[in-house]
Amino acid sequence: MQDRDTIDRRTFTRRTAAVTGAIALAGCVGGEEPGDGDETGDGDGNGDDDVAAVPELPEIEDPPDAVYVPTHREAMRMLEPIDAGEFRLAPMLSYPHPFWVIAGGGSAEEEVERIDPDDGRGVHMMFTLWDAETGIVLPVDEGTQITIYRDDEQVGSPRSPWAMISQEMGFHFGDNVSLPEDGTYTVEVTITPVSTTKTGDLEGRLEERQTATFEFVYDDEFRHEVVGGVEYLDEDDWGRRGALGPMDHGHGEGGHAHGEEHGDGHHDDGHQHGDGDGHHDDGHQHGDEHRDDGGHDDHDHHHVPYSELPDVDEYPGTVLVDPDADERPAETMDLPRSGDGAFLATLTEPGFRLADGDERYLLVSPRTPYNRVPLADMSLSVTVERDGETVAEPSLEQTLDSELDLHYGTSVADVQPGDSVTITVESPPQVARHRGYETAFLEMPPVELTIPEES
Amino acid sequence: MVPDRSSLSRREYVRALVATGGAGALSACLDAVDDGEATAAPSGTDDPDSLPDRQHAWNDTLSSDDDGNVLLPEHHALVALSLRAEPNEEDRDTVEAAFRTIERAYEWSNEGLVFTVGYTPAYFARYDGSLPDSVDLPEPVALTDREDPAFDEYDALLHLASDRPEVVLEAEEALFGDRETVNGVDLEADLSGVFDRREDHRRTGFVGDGLPARHTDLPDVPESIHEEAPFFMGFRSGFRESQATEDRVTISEGPFSGGTTQQLSSMDLQLEVWFEQDNHYQRVSKLFSPEHAEEELVGAFGERLETASGLTDDRIEATAADARERGVVGHAQKAARARENGDPLLLRRDFNTVDGDRPGLHFLSLQRGIDEFVRVREAMTGADLDVPSANNGLLHYIFVNRRGNYLLPPREHRALPPADPGSGA
Repeated sequence: MQDRDTIDRRTFTRRTAAVTGAIALAGCVGGEEPGDGDETGDGDGNGDDDVAAVPELPEIEDPPDAVYVPTHREAMRMLEPIDAGEFRLAPMLSYPHPFWVIAGGGSAEEEVERIDPDDGRGVHMMFTLWDAETGIVLPVDEGTQITIYRDDEQVGSPRSPWAMISQEMGFHFGDNVSLPEDGTYTVEVTITPVSTTKTGDLEGRLEERQTATFEFVYDDEFRHEVVGGVEYLDEDDWGRRGALGPMDHGHGEGGHAHGEEHGDGHHDDGHQHGDGDGHHDDGHQHGDEHRDDGGHDDHDHHHVPYSELPDVDEYPGTVLVDPDADERPAETMDLPRSGDGAFLATLTEPGFRLADGDERYLLVSPRTPYNRVPLADMSLSVTVERDGETVAEPSLEQTLDSELDLHYGTSVADVQPGDSVTITVESPPQVARHRGYETAFLEMPPVELTIPEES
Repeated sequence: MVPDRSSLSRREYVRALVATGGAGALSACLDAVDDGEATAAPSGTDDPDSLPDRQHAWNDTLSSDDDGNVLLPEHHALVALSLRAEPNEEDRDTVEAAFRTIERAYEWSNEGLVFTVGYTPAYFARYDGSLPDSVDLPEPVALTDREDPAFDEYDALLHLASDRPEVVLEAEEALFGDRETVNGVDLEADLSGVFDRREDHRRTGFVGDGLPARHTDLPDVPESIHEEAPFFMGFRSGFRESQATEDRVTISEGPFSGGTTQQLSSMDLQLEVWFEQDNHYQRVSKLFSPEHAEEELVGAFGERLETASGLTDDRIEATAADARERGVVGHAQKAARARENGDPLLLRRDFNTVDGDRPGLHFLSLQRGIDEFVRVREAMTGADLDVPSANNGLLHYIFVNRRGNYLLPPREHRALPPADPGSGA
């Protein structure tokens, strides 16, 4: 269970007054009264000098081995995006919270480790990093670094924040960082060149190391904002298969209506993509807008892109299909899954720009099933079979393309309609996970597809 | 300023004194170690010819552990030096006389003192001639995209090492003229007329069973470090079979034959993430290899590894496959790819530090030429591997902030050598 000792009784009471009775009750189930043993002090009646550093975070018992809805929406403070050469990044701060790091296949229990925040004060420090020109979020771990200063004195050792995925934030970098006391902190971020294979308009770019700095104030006001801003979901939804939609990046912490980019508000805060009812029916339009907006977002200086991949029909070539499926997948929700990751695979026409010469390009784009967040830093290979004989067994190369975003691909010479293609996950995405993603994308069995006759 | 003894254990206190340096620290250190059982450090020799020709010939005189691995002295100081004026013959005589005094004062051992003096490319640049082709000593450079180090651009570096902290301090003070005698030997000469000490670049450190765990009073050194671990990363290191021999790193031709090159990279270590976020299995995967973790080859702090880090040819060759198939590769496994016919290229004499009150590592290595260090570093960086940075050995936890390259001449040329002693320059 989450340690309750860090929550202040009054804060807890204020929060529970604002959410449903069921959740308020659930928050108290399983032991002592919230606030018991809390040394930050009850009853001084002052109200502002003992704000909890972290909110009450109930646990979900036995979540599914799949993407699931967590207990709450996080609150965070968005700072103004900053430029760093060709890069742009948006810092975000929240309360320290649990996340999971992975080193390995995920088959051994020890390869995944839950990180629980220290009981002391601090922040969960995050940033989304993107290419300022194309607006593409850079979803690969290249070893960015942060160093924190206070009054020109370095605070703690430098660190490399983890590459992470979360339902609300998509792909970002982050870590829990302890802070010794309240005050104004300066963070120096070092962005390393993107060594992942880059194609399209990204080729030859993003190759200079850059640094950028931002400041933030850690104080009661901050804690009020991020702890008090947590929105608990209906308990009936906790642990259900589905996901929170992306948070409203462009307009500060949650609660606002959506702005011009998102138009119809399909990403309305609180909306969840569920198994049965969470259809993302306007997703490809959103994708178009997202892409078009990328290069010229001056009209909204604060716009922060979300790492959402294009939907199925935006990819070139023939979509590979599950041989047992009735219909061709129309959108990400319909794609075959492995470890609850949705696998889009297409085979292009000969001579496609990413293929060698007049060969075809085999593209595999694994993504989260509801929000289309790229599953980065995997190793994939494919086996192509025809009449029971293996005709090709290439490894796929992780590639970042200005149009097709993050995918795994290879040029193929002799592949034709009717061939079967088995995608083998050699290692699952080696990215840390926020709650709701930590039980998915670990055990990922092969995905068996066939190349349909071209229609 | 001399540290406050009341708040520190004796070992922490003397470590802090070594870090502080200076006459006041020495005096306090002598008091601290003089707890009734004071024994003088063993004396040195009046016969300089009895000492090895190589400055870096330490292994035969240092102690070893039960598995026969050489144990470095516990306390280290790296003293950066800048010449006060262009060197002349008189200066050379002074420097040699100062070093010989120290050798008379202390036995050449971990109980006494071992030391080297190294010279930077910036030092040799003052001479008309260039270094002979038999010496590979380029200017230091950044070696990965992740690092942007400052460089050691002063002239020389003294490396003083002893199991006795007071000896490290006393030798340094003696070399800079703050004493009349050193370990009972009259001081004939010192370095203060020739070199200025660069206090801003003075570095210190320690290595040995249990020493890292004594620094958990610092906020960035987690309590969870194993109490017997000799290094901050929590595991044994420097296994005999992972180390180059002194012969392997010795320059074999030319006027500096018998010398070696020294590479020094100073870095911060992110121990909070290493110990409090990663688990033991992940640490073993990232430090040794994923197979070490799976097969539990290492033990709590490396005690199951005896004379070697368990790197079979198969485990070294599996590095690229581990990157793809396991999503993680080990630091040792990667670096071992640079071995030549199975032999390591580097003789590591690295040690940990809490300089600046933050945990770090002074990665000091000896190799025949700096190009060999660069090859090992490239193998260790593993930019060729299909693995994210966080799971690429130790990259996620180390932050290089300084680098220097040095020539350690053979003893006969250790005092202000010209770039090509053979040419009579």
